[in-house]
Amino acid sequence: MRARTVILDNEAVQALRDPRHRKHRRVLAKIEVVASRNLRAAGSVRLVVPTTVRVEAGWDRRSPGAAIINRLRVHDSALDTGAADAAARVRASLGVSAADGHIAAVLGASAAPHTVVTSDIEDMRRLAGQLGLEITAARV
Amino acid sequence: MDSQLSDLLDLLDDADGEAVGTSIRIPASLRRAAALATEVGLVPSTSEVAVQGLRDVLEARAQRAILDAHYAAHPEARPDLGETALAAAELDDHPLAGRADLIRRAAREVRAIKDDPTPDDVLLFAAGLAADAA
Repeated sequence: MRARTVILDNEAVQALRDPRHRKHRRVLAKIEVVASRNLRAAGSVRLVVPTTVRVEAGWDRRSPGAAIINRLRVHDSALDTGAADAAARVRASLGVSAADGHIAAVLGASAAPHTVVTSDIEDMRRLAGQLGLEITAARV
Repeated sequence: MDSQLSDLLDLLDDADGEAVGTSIRIPASLRRAAALATEVGLVPSTSEVAVQGLRDVLEARAQRAILDAHYAAHPEARPDLGETALAAAELDDHPLAGRADLIRRAAREVRAIKDDPTPDDVLLFAAGLAADAA
């Protein structure tokens, strides 16, 4: 199923930030797909990063080193009150990290179908399965 | 990065700021259709739909331009068509996502019959190859 929301996990962010990262090109290939689809149908796919993932990955948007990733139209999904409550519930019930809890909150609040670009494929599938959500987990 | 592109991106980042009136010529029937769609609740308002549509188009063009600027500085980072088609398969959990060999072959062959093929064109071609082989 064609993704409408593509969520970047920690390693995807790290790979995207650094052109010397061994998976930089691999993650860019996924961004290329999003860009290609948006050129043909504007607004059809949204790139999202939960802000807790940004914290974990050390992505400061004001840092000069983040210039490229800042410009790629990756939208922040903020940990506001509603998202924090949802993430806290998931963290309490499933014992996942704060970042994964926030990803779960974003899954519940953004347009499906979702793809999470992650290095923790099994963890992400398990998280979605426990929440009764259908997602695609794509390897970084 | 080109300074005009940089200015465009700054403006897009600030696109929720002050709203101003503007005049855009649109076909009269389209304007009436939009008014009717608003009246029956299909869309929130003509302005909102127009703003979202314009934003989406500008974001898409900007995304393309940023990638091209990045490849100009880092040519080695540009993925080839086979890699982007495989990425498309992975993003969609496509049945051929595990068939990198077939997707690479499709990427090579589709170029012979289509100008500027997209990753999705390659996946469609690869599905045809797989069906032929079955």
